[in-house]
Amino acid sequence: MQEEKLLISLAKSGDKAALAELVKLYESTIYNFAFKICRDKEKAENIMQETFYSMIKSLNQFEGDSKLSTWLYRIVSNHCLMGARKLKSSNFVSLDEIEDDENNVKELAVDWDSIPFKSTENDELKKILDDSIKKLHPDYRVVFLLRDVEGLSTEETASILELTVPAVKSRLHRARAFLRNDINEAFK
Amino acid sequence: MKENEIKCKDVVNHICESLGEDLNSAQCIAIKKHLGECKNCASYFKTVEMTIDFYKKYNVELPEDAHDKLLKSLGLNT
Ligand SMILES: [Zn+2]
Repeated sequence: MQEEKLLISLAKSGDKAALAELVKLYESTIYNFAFKICRDKEKAENIMQETFYSMIKSLNQFEGDSKLSTWLYRIVSNHCLMGARKLKSSNFVSLDEIEDDENNVKELAVDWDSIPFKSTENDELKKILDDSIKKLHPDYRVVFLLRDVEGLSTEETASILELTVPAVKSRLHRARAFLRNDINEAFK
Repeated sequence: MKENEIKCKDVVNHICESLGEDLNSAQCIAIKKHLGECKNCASYFKTVEMTIDFYKKYNVELPEDAHDKLLKSLGLNT
């Protein structure tokens, strides 16, 4: 962390080597996060590039009161969500009907412990995971990814997406319920 | 919400463990108790956790030339 602060202040003063170090520190995280949102490697690489371009351009506005990673997550999310706004909402499942649905708790179609391809190295499982999350609107996807997959707090997620904490919780619970049920269907 | 009023619906809407909330709040304690008693909710909770875990473990490697390409496009290559 100390090292990161030093790198940031050097980078702010125009030190290219320090900027390159910061890029190196975060490129894998940013690439993975971008991939997890758009499920497309080529797009992920473009978004990573745009994110660091934005970072360099506006690093002077970075106050340092939040983590640089949080700031970068915000830039990636904005890039991804901007792209998603161009898509028709009919491309995605409507989650309005999921709200407090007791059916979510209904018994599993299959026992998940007996699924033979549980390893995430398995292409069949990867395809199921891609297919399910692609049905989620990116506004929901990004909440699930920041909060559950990247492990940010509810408050951090809310601040990055400029949502209220209850809105994050509501989207998170719908996204989780949808993914879990959709994967359950695919396992049949 | 009183402890004995926890319903399956409440559990689905409010899985506190992974929501990072105060684990000792009356509601969380009631939910944990319910999870211990209700097979369906316990299985829901477990499979939501598995779902999250699947997505957590599904990572991609940065393509080999991506780092150099990136630095070049940013004008940071030396
Ligand atoms: Zn229950």
